[in-house]
Amino acid sequence: MENNKPKIGIFGLTSCAGDQLAILNCEDELIHLANALDIRDWEMAQTNNDNTTLLDIAFVEGVVAQSRDLEALHAIRKRSKLLVAIGTCAVWGGVAAMKNQIPRDILKKEVYGEEINVVDSMPALPVKSFVKVDIQLPGCPIEKDQFLQVVTSLLRGNLPEILQFSVCSECKMSENACLVIEQGEVCCGALTLSGCNARCPSHNIPCGGCHGPIEEAHYDANVTMFKTHGITKDDIEQKMAMYAAPAWIPDKLLAEK
Amino acid sequence: MKILKLPKTNFKLFMEGLQNYGEVHVPKKKSSQSFVFGPMENTSEIAMDYLRTINPPKKYFFKPKDTLFNFSSTKGFTEVIEDSDKKIVLFGLHPCDIHGLKILDIVFGTNYPDKYYFARRKNVIVIGLSCMPDDKCFCRSMATDATEDGFDLFLSELKSSYLLTVGSSIGDDISTDLKHLLTEVTKKDTNEYLKIRKERKNRFTLSLDTSDLPYILELQRESEVWEELGKKCLCCGSCSMVCPTCSCFNVYDIKNLITDSGQRVRQWDSCLFKDYAVVAGGHNFRVNRADRVRNRYYDKQNGFVSQYGKPSCTGCGRCIQYCPTKIHVVEVFNKVRGEA
Amino acid sequence: MDRHSHLNYSTNARATNVMLPDLARLVRVIPMVEDNFMFLFRFEDPALNDKFLYKPGQFAEITVIGTGEAPISISSTPTRKGVLEMCIRRMGRVTNALYNLPENSLVGIRGPYGNGYPVEEMKGHDVLIIAGGLGMAPLRSLLNFILDNRSQFGRVVLMYGTKSPDDVLFRDEMESLMRRTDLECLLTVEQAYQYPGAHPWRGKIGMVTELFQHVKDLNVQNTYAAVCGPPIFYKFVLDKLLKLNFSKDHILMSLERRMECGVGKCGHCAIGYKYTCIDGPIFSYWDIVNMPELIEF
Repeated sequence: MENNKPKIGIFGLTSCAGDQLAILNCEDELIHLANALDIRDWEMAQTNNDNTTLLDIAFVEGVVAQSRDLEALHAIRKRSKLLVAIGTCAVWGGVAAMKNQIPRDILKKEVYGEEINVVDSMPALPVKSFVKVDIQLPGCPIEKDQFLQVVTSLLRGNLPEILQFSVCSECKMSENACLVIEQGEVCCGALTLSGCNARCPSHNIPCGGCHGPIEEAHYDANVTMFKTHGITKDDIEQKMAMYAAPAWIPDKLLAEK
Repeated sequence: MKILKLPKTNFKLFMEGLQNYGEVHVPKKKSSQSFVFGPMENTSEIAMDYLRTINPPKKYFFKPKDTLFNFSSTKGFTEVIEDSDKKIVLFGLHPCDIHGLKILDIVFGTNYPDKYYFARRKNVIVIGLSCMPDDKCFCRSMATDATEDGFDLFLSELKSSYLLTVGSSIGDDISTDLKHLLTEVTKKDTNEYLKIRKERKNRFTLSLDTSDLPYILELQRESEVWEELGKKCLCCGSCSMVCPTCSCFNVYDIKNLITDSGQRVRQWDSCLFKDYAVVAGGHNFRVNRADRVRNRYYDKQNGFVSQYGKPSCTGCGRCIQYCPTKIHVVEVFNKVRGEA
Repeated sequence: MDRHSHLNYSTNARATNVMLPDLARLVRVIPMVEDNFMFLFRFEDPALNDKFLYKPGQFAEITVIGTGEAPISISSTPTRKGVLEMCIRRMGRVTNALYNLPENSLVGIRGPYGNGYPVEEMKGHDVLIIAGGLGMAPLRSLLNFILDNRSQFGRVVLMYGTKSPDDVLFRDEMESLMRRTDLECLLTVEQAYQYPGAHPWRGKIGMVTELFQHVKDLNVQNTYAAVCGPPIFYKFVLDKLLKLNFSKDHILMSLERRMECGVGKCGHCAIGYKYTCIDGPIFSYWDIVNMPELIEF
């Protein structure tokens, strides 16, 4: 049946499927989403998927960590007008990219032992390392409201606006005491893109940087700052590398070693 | 000026009496070192010895996130002003914060008055409270360490009582209503006040030399101080959020999924954020961190002075306390002066 | 007496909400050159069409419902009421959405904002209008205002330069302006392409600054120069004007910043103590000398 609704697909590469789950968690809006979009391909949520039609928008979750991810990604890109990377894995590499600096062979042996050598594994890299990405919406998982705003903008033919504010700003708006200043914690708030309303610091948990870095994150100043609180560089690097290692490691962490 | 005395033994009853005038908000402890203004659940939680809250009183009038109106492609624009009828008694503002509000009154009142700010401002009764400075207070240098107006009532602490200054007609109504809790000020009280005042004056350890500062800033526009600061500043925006006079905001629309309707919202913003001065098409008028940091300092001590004859800094010390990377505003200006 | 005597500003008479747009209708879209169309708006409330009193050089905030708001300079002149004309370049989210908006759609308009050209002070003077590219948009308002009050101004010269004949805004109007005897209308293009169907070019070829040689006997002491164009254009035109000994406060420029609220509150367009939306967007060259951040060449 022909209609004017944008044809979309939602795909998962190597990931926990948490971002797709966040979409399914849209509760009240889910029915509107289903009405507004012509969902052609969404393996996680429906059967009878159509994996050939050209798509207006492809939402891609997950990191490229296996050769089949890469094949899938190229195929998705080829059939999609717009590609939206959703979730921190797709945007920054996520948890899977944490140990990229260690050769795969060593990692494979560490995890699977000497005997098993059939595991398809490559250094985990975000989607933008391989194909053109039109819109990036990080989050671990993505924020439901932000996702809906992205969809709403796209439905109107607008590119979505994602504010480049730090988590610190939302943390102060929520009137939290600073965990760096008062408790000497390694909090990634100043480096990390907002959108979560400083969820973790509001519960007295330091920001782990799960949205990945803001544009122009001030890495050096953060390291200097943490050092004055007696926090070692290793601690800082470990924390920063958890969700967005490819953003830090190639240019920053390794360069200084 | 009408000045009365509130014995400390009557303080609890006084605070309870205020509840007839609105929801009473007081300074409360948030963490080991931090305080916030919030609704009073009982009088014992009032942090009478607090010095500064994380967010200044501006949050009551200029909310961190504020819906401006609803829009719809068929019905147009419908004004929304949350809490425009909510009566609040805001207790415990120190003189610096009262000055902060007076500065915001200018900002939001000049040229095109801001309806959202004043809709709430008119409903809030301001009750001031005296204080003893710590090592981050430099209000004395900013001439905001005392105030003769900007409050409805003001409490100056003595040993076993408070001097209660009446600053407005509604303040007078309250003091009349609660007159059974109040007594006359004696000669002894006056002497005690003068003694405490002197002690307070001597307690200040931090000062900012503001003489000639706007001119020095003009001369130091290209100073290496700004480059150094740009290297140190995280551009996290914390100082702007907690500043009693920072009032920049970002405006955006939240759209409903299926209909052409939604809300226009404004949200606290900071001139330190990378995209702050980006225009349509992508050009950024302040690309470098150093430029953005400089802009913030110039706005407070140069720009505002040019426009309104006084700086827009109140010396409250919040930006010192809440800078994760320990940038110290007084040290910055001392460096600019070549005196650090 | 106001119970809040400590407030320096009255709080009860604030009936108008400056953040709230008025409903208007996009009545017509006129393509001019690629990505520079003319948009015509009319308020839904007919009374507003008369009440919307603006000066040449002022701007308005246009809301595309469901997308957002953007500041747009007004190209029409207050001397011709009824319809607001805005020449809009497709630049960002909001202008892009405007281009996708069908005629007859509802939009929101707030304004007018900004200082506008000091037309009262300019009366009795000669006026030199120098435009580059889309800079003609706000200057068209000034030009037509002057032409509609022609007797109140001295000599009027228009110098307008674009990249090619295809980029000339308000082409038809330019044709008739060139025929006027009470206006010296000088047009130039950097290059006049010769291809089938290319717009024939009767103007000059070269940079805008080269047009000065065709303007004889400028009475610099008695002339205001209103300049608007891209940064590189400012650089050369200002050089020329200063060499000709123009008084710095008689050189008027229209600047662009991120004017988000339009009413001097949000801070985004502030440059030092100047708000582009309140103290500008029209600044004199003296302002620019005085405010280091004001212009980037």
